Amino acid sequence: MKKVQERLLKYYVVGFYLALIAGWQLLFSLELTRDYLFPSPTSVAKRLWELGGDGMLWPSIKATLVRMAIGFSISAGLGLIIGMLMGISRIINSCLKSLFLGLQTLPTAAWVPISLLLFGLSDHGIYFVIIMSSVAAVAIATADGILHIPPLYLRVARTLGTPAYAMTYRVILPAALPRIVTGVKLGWTLGWHGAVSAELIKSSVGLGFLLYMGRELNDAAQVVAIMVVTILFGLILDRFLFGLVEQRIRIRRGLERTG
Amino acid sequence: MAPDHTSTETSPPSSSTANPVKLRFARLTKTFETPSQTTEVLQPIDLDIHEREYVVLFGPSGCGKSTLLNLVAGFEEPTSGQILLDDQPVAGPGNDRLMMFQEHGLFPWLNVMDNVMYGLRWERAYRFKPRARTQRALELIQLVHLEEFTRSRVHELSGGMKQRVALARALAPDPEVLLIDEPFPALDALVRAKLYLELQDILVRTGKTIVSVTHDPREAACLGDRVVVFTGRPGRIRADIKIELPRPRDINDPQVAEYAGKITAQLEEGANEKGPGTAP
Repeated sequence: MKKVQERLLKYYVVGFYLALIAGWQLLFSLELTRDYLFPSPTSVAKRLWELGGDGMLWPSIKATLVRMAIGFSISAGLGLIIGMLMGISRIINSCLKSLFLGLQTLPTAAWVPISLLLFGLSDHGIYFVIIMSSVAAVAIATADGILHIPPLYLRVARTLGTPAYAMTYRVILPAALPRIVTGVKLGWTLGWHGAVSAELIKSSVGLGFLLYMGRELNDAAQVVAIMVVTILFGLILDRFLFGLVEQRIRIRRGLERTG
Repeated sequence: MAPDHTSTETSPPSSSTANPVKLRFARLTKTFETPSQTTEVLQPIDLDIHEREYVVLFGPSGCGKSTLLNLVAGFEEPTSGQILLDDQPVAGPGNDRLMMFQEHGLFPWLNVMDNVMYGLRWERAYRFKPRARTQRALELIQLVHLEEFTRSRVHELSGGMKQRVALARALAPDPEVLLIDEPFPALDALVRAKLYLELQDILVRTGKTIVSVTHDPREAACLGDRVVVFTGRPGRIRADIKIELPRPRDINDPQVAEYAGKITAQLEEGANEKGPGTAP
């Protein structure tokens, strides 16, 4: 009974998107709105095709992804180390948690001006924005994961003769892993926001740069086309890279049912 | 009461008092101190537990029997007195005094096999010998009859199976003493009855020295070679009852019930007396 409904849900979702695009197109076909105010789906698709043909699109996607790969790797590593320190020491945790929660209220784009001042127009500034946008999420999740480990696991590990040096990687990190992965996933999304925000202002290649170009050229179709691409890549990486890893861990541990 | 150290013959668990002393409590006390109050949990405890013996610590909740187990496991330190394992004072947690907890505490990130193997990694005999570890783990998984589940995840097992995996994991490093904090508390009666029989079978085969804690007199009479009865806080030994019944014992056996009655009677007498109880 429940399975059938969930199957049907998929069709509803697909239908919803088709209806959305059809309704959008209909606004133009019935001449209810003008193409120069807001682009039609066909003009967006056409512009996307042109951008792909020009050799503009792929290098930009690649540039943004490479920046994310570098920036977020540094951020995740830093976040993990800081989070572990917070998990070990209650003092460090209390001090840094309030700071990180405060920094998290800052919109990711708000890091761009200071990065311009510090790093000028170099790529380092983009890494800086990515790191500042995402490091807090990873650190807080890691610390929470460690602080929420059932004390029983630690006692079991000690009575089974686990030496102190092995506690971290044999027990503490594996036990905290589900929360850490959730934090890394959230961090990735925030970092992605940061990367595109930074590219808007201080880059000559990347998805953010193409958005900026579209605005400069008054090309609404390009702006919307790049927004769609940014959403798609954000979604694909979030769902299919981090989402699947997270789900796999949760199913293996019986935290989530299969199917 | 002096144990016969010259005796070297191995005898069945029921007459194991002839075996050498494995674990000795000497004038052991424990007091918990917080800034606001001081709680005396254990009054001086003197007790000898012999090799291959199964001793059950029985008493009401709060009598300090679990604290005693924690002291042996090394999670707590005695306020005064000593615990001697093979005449050596114990210090800190270690797998020579391995503890099984009320909840199974299996690691959900490992499968059954890896859980059972976990404690072998740091054992001298198995260090850097993954094959020997696998071999040993398989032996124990067979001992608890879970061969079909070696690759299963913890959450895929029933409550009784989880406890059996926990037992296999605890026996794998071949501890000198196995400490059991309330075996199988959260299981239904049928599963428990079966596990009691299985546990006794395993114990006879492995010949382990075991100390367990319970507040169920039936369980005490079913499992113990000796039942040490504790009275309420501060805990002290009220009686030391030898259970002279053949193994394996069924928890529903009338003779077990009779012993359970004796154990409960000791507890009640102890509760009625104001003064310190004297061990017979």
